[in-house]
Amino acid sequence: MALKKNSSVAGNRYLKIFMVAFALAVLFPFSGSLELSAENFSVSDVWAEDAAGGEPAATEGEGADGESAEGEAVESNEWKPAPPPVLETKDYPLIPGFNSRMWVWYVAQLHLFFAAFVLGVPMFVWAIELIGVLSGDKRYDRMAHEFMKVSMTGFSLAASFGGLLAFLLFVCYPDFMSYMTSIFGKTMIFYAVLFFAESFFVYTYYYGWDAMDNAKMKKVHLALGLGLNIAGMTLMVVSNSWASFMMAPSGIGDDGAFLGNVWAAINGPLWNPLNLHRVIANVAYGGSLTAAYAAYKFVTVDPKATEDRAHYDWMGYTSFIVAMVGLLPLPFAGYWLTKEVYGYSQQMGITLMGGVFAWLFILQAVLIGAIFLSANYYLWCSLGRTEAAKRYYFMIKPLGIVIVIAFLMWFTPHTLIMTSTEVTQVGGTHHPVLGPFGVMAAKNTAVNTLILATFLSFQIFRRAGIKAVGDGFWAKNGTAIQVALYTAAMGNIVILGVYSYVIPASVRIGLSVPQVCTTAVVIILAMIIDGKMFKKSEEVSETKWGQMPMRSQYALFMLAISFTWLMGLMGYCRSAIRQHWHVYTVFRDNSVEAFTPTLPFAALHVTIIVVIFMALVFFMFWMPILASKKGKVGAEQKAH
Amino acid sequence: MKDLLKIFVFALVIIFGFAGYTRYGLPLIIPEAPPVEEKLSGDITMEQYIGIGDKIFNGKGTCTLCHSPVGGRAPLLDTIGSLALERLKDERYKGKATTGEEYILESLVDTSAFVVAGFGKTGTNDTVSPMPNVDKGAIGLSDVEMGAVIAYLQSIAGVEVTVALPSGDSSAMPEEEAPATIKLAESAAEAFIKFECTMCHIGPEIEEGGDMGPDLGGFAATAGSRKEGVSARAFVLESIMNPNAVIAEGFDADTMPDDYPARMTFAEFNLIADAILGVKNQ
Amino acid sequence: MKILRPLIPLTVILILYFALKEGVPYLGSQLHEGTWPVIPTSVMKMYVFFIAVGVLLIFTFTDDGFKANIGPFAEIYLNPDRKIIRFVSAVLVGCFGAWVSYQYVKPTFDAPVELRSIHPAPPSNAKMWGKTYSIGTLKNPLREDKENFAANVKAGGEVYYKNCFYCHGDRMLGKGPFWDGFTPVPANFVDIGTIAQLSESFVFWRIGTGGPGLPSEATPWLSAMPVWHEFLSEEEVWKVILFLYDYTGHSPRVIEPHH
Repeated sequence: MALKKNSSVAGNRYLKIFMVAFALAVLFPFSGSLELSAENFSVSDVWAEDAAGGEPAATEGEGADGESAEGEAVESNEWKPAPPPVLETKDYPLIPGFNSRMWVWYVAQLHLFFAAFVLGVPMFVWAIELIGVLSGDKRYDRMAHEFMKVSMTGFSLAASFGGLLAFLLFVCYPDFMSYMTSIFGKTMIFYAVLFFAESFFVYTYYYGWDAMDNAKMKKVHLALGLGLNIAGMTLMVVSNSWASFMMAPSGIGDDGAFLGNVWAAINGPLWNPLNLHRVIANVAYGGSLTAAYAAYKFVTVDPKATEDRAHYDWMGYTSFIVAMVGLLPLPFAGYWLTKEVYGYSQQMGITLMGGVFAWLFILQAVLIGAIFLSANYYLWCSLGRTEAAKRYYFMIKPLGIVIVIAFLMWFTPHTLIMTSTEVTQVGGTHHPVLGPFGVMAAKNTAVNTLILATFLSFQIFRRAGIKAVGDGFWAKNGTAIQVALYTAAMGNIVILGVYSYVIPASVRIGLSVPQVCTTAVVIILAMIIDGKMFKKSEEVSETKWGQMPMRSQYALFMLAISFTWLMGLMGYCRSAIRQHWHVYTVFRDNSVEAFTPTLPFAALHVTIIVVIFMALVFFMFWMPILASKKGKVGAEQKAH
Repeated sequence: MKDLLKIFVFALVIIFGFAGYTRYGLPLIIPEAPPVEEKLSGDITMEQYIGIGDKIFNGKGTCTLCHSPVGGRAPLLDTIGSLALERLKDERYKGKATTGEEYILESLVDTSAFVVAGFGKTGTNDTVSPMPNVDKGAIGLSDVEMGAVIAYLQSIAGVEVTVALPSGDSSAMPEEEAPATIKLAESAAEAFIKFECTMCHIGPEIEEGGDMGPDLGGFAATAGSRKEGVSARAFVLESIMNPNAVIAEGFDADTMPDDYPARMTFAEFNLIADAILGVKNQ
Repeated sequence: MKILRPLIPLTVILILYFALKEGVPYLGSQLHEGTWPVIPTSVMKMYVFFIAVGVLLIFTFTDDGFKANIGPFAEIYLNPDRKIIRFVSAVLVGCFGAWVSYQYVKPTFDAPVELRSIHPAPPSNAKMWGKTYSIGTLKNPLREDKENFAANVKAGGEVYYKNCFYCHGDRMLGKGPFWDGFTPVPANFVDIGTIAQLSESFVFWRIGTGGPGLPSEATPWLSAMPVWHEFLSEEEVWKVILFLYDYTGHSPRVIEPHH
């Protein structure tokens, strides 16, 4: 399989465009800060704003214990942190025809889309590059490079929207921002400095790729990639602490005044759950977007260019696997976050799950179901790449049935909407058959089943074109052992699910852990057995990359679109459960726009944001194509 | 380009499908508007304040126990708002009030500052009022609550309401009155206070009481013989539940409330009867 | 090309639909005699939609399957020789659309669908007995009293049978003598969807303030639940809560304090 060459001419041209875009991105927020300098905002504060943050443990290690916190307070005697002011509507700048809340919403969401993408991509790019180095297979290296290329425009767009967000926040919510700065000022400066480190790593990692592509320098290049990921992760973790502080403030007194210990303010109850959830989601999101990129190239490339198609098919498949690796643990990270929300405030937890936002989770279940269905469909279609896969077609129907049943269980609402006639027929509002599916025990069982079934689809795909040879124990018995493994696991998950109906709530919540462990153990063991089984294997029929139907590529689009929309929706949810507070329970939002949007209202605006985002993504995908087209023309001219 | 368009349309169909499902497939819950700020929650209109006064006057304040046309035990207050100024000029007035509002407040907390003729404690020649101070003891109204009562009295008299609305401090707001029925008296002393016996009677377990009713101290000795064929306990029962059946010498009929059958439990009656009759409980 | 081939997945979808439509109520009628618990239309629509999607995916993941099941549609709508069947199918699709629209707009005598949030978020503070309770931090004071636990549960039982029994029933199943007079029907405490999901402070708030105490997000709300703090003492309510959990064998949700 031949893969596309990368033109260095294209890289140079691209570099210029990118530099201009990035310079604009840097200058834009800077111009905002000049206007505001009278209000004691430093440039770095403004810069730092776009995410929300805290200082990492390493730099503030001592601050974690109470005594040194007191010490700090004494030292800074002259400057006493003020509690958040009680604002009135007139304290918010009113710009006629300009809705601050909606603008901040739009810009923040667009910033987060791009930021999640450009933080997620380098994570698996680095992993793929490492695989390429370890296996000596150049194809991985090229693919990693191409992924990076796609995300480069995203990087500058993320920075631009971040700058715009900072600008908007300081203009529209000056009092709120000065309160946040009074607590997180240090971390904001740290964030700004870190951002330059991020830029340094991004440039050197991407533009040094070809130059460092030799045995000696490859290690340096990998180190740069690692640096990029560490810087990116730290940036995100710092900005997460601002967001989690707004949801569940810590490190402040009863009146909301800062107690002087930044680490205490950063390390709030929701910080780490949010960090984990976002890291995993970034990987899944980055994967799904690059998969959409590959699918886009696959669909639009000349059908006769079989080599190109093979390349983009393979690229789409790899991105898809990355997205799945992120997607599978995501529900559990979500559960942890929700559990911590409950732990922090029962009121917030019930608002989230049982109150105004209850139906949002039915919507979320439908979207996650759609993601799982399209993922499985892609895997099933992938069987078409090789003749020998027909051996496994008989398994697809039962798998499909299991997935649909699990999915129906997964989204059956706890509160059923019934007409009065139906209430009479049912004999009350509690449905004897569907009612039990509404509670967490059923949801856990369903989601574990969904994950196992999806993994099974993947396993079938992996062995579609090959068979184990030899007389080894695993080659002979591997399949039987795996069947036994899956059967036992499903039995365990279902029995635990049913058992959890008859035990107290406190024990019941704990039962989701063995269910998850069962799933994880099956996935790990099945992978190990696969490895042993196919140590010696032979191809039954050739795997023809590029031999994929168009509809499978639309499954990849579906994945990316659903993911994006869902992310926008959950962003609304995370932010809106604060209700009318800037900082929950401490700093009230008294602006005229301090309402909690209804679900359809939010859905409509998320839809518009996603359309804007899609238009920008098309631009982003088009940029490298444009660059390489020009490059080709240049090369052709040279040839003449 | 055609493929690009197809993809874009596909994407639009999907996301508008999601938005459409949200709009038409899920029930609409409209979140509550942000609650009015705490600072403002103490802010009420004068009308509401007067309404609170009404509730206190007829309920928690137990004012109508005496200030009602039925008993005639205390002057009616329907015109006190306008009468107050005349009272200030009365030569028998001993208080320090200068306005109508201050006069009414004084009457609530220093009840003997002015005693309306004919309503004083017997034997004091209308110099001492039988009324308890309402800011203390069982009634225990707060300043804000007394303000509400004054506002109410002024409003029913048809004069201008001069009481200032309470400040935003919500802790000063009158608490919702607790329903009288929920707390059962657990001792005789409690029962005497709960049923306002102490307003008019003195006797066992009553340290400080009024004198509009007979002293209950001698009851134990005489109750058994007051009515032929009726035991002491049955006589106490009748005296409470049907107070006009036998009127003690020197006291007026129709003075004692006759709503005890509806308010008093049997257990509470037993506490009272035991105390009056000197029955020792363990 | 077999033009009628798409009827196979369609038939599968219809069979599954009827299996759900009749099977679930049948199962339900075995569990609760005398009822016919249909799947509510709102849920049924989603079930059928995703079953249809699932069936379509299963039938079209291979090229052969895709051609056989989707091809006929292209054949009908794009082949100029298929005039009659194109016409018939267009009419059928149109009629189906008309029928769906008619179902939406036709006049009905049904009461409007009522949505109730079974467990609305509690307010942070609630006023009962003239005091203000912080629902977030409130604990059952009698829960710690291990010595008198049995006595308190017994007293709670007395309160229950004197006050609550008439609606919520002698076995806490929400089937007291008056249960069928109410919409919504009284809560079933044995069901794990009610008190088993909630903390004691939440139950305390719901008992204390009754139907009128529900926040507006739980409306439209016709709950006949009395405002019990006007009739019972605080201690009686805590006792009855002890009794509810004790009788049903559920344990209250414990909100773990953070750090």
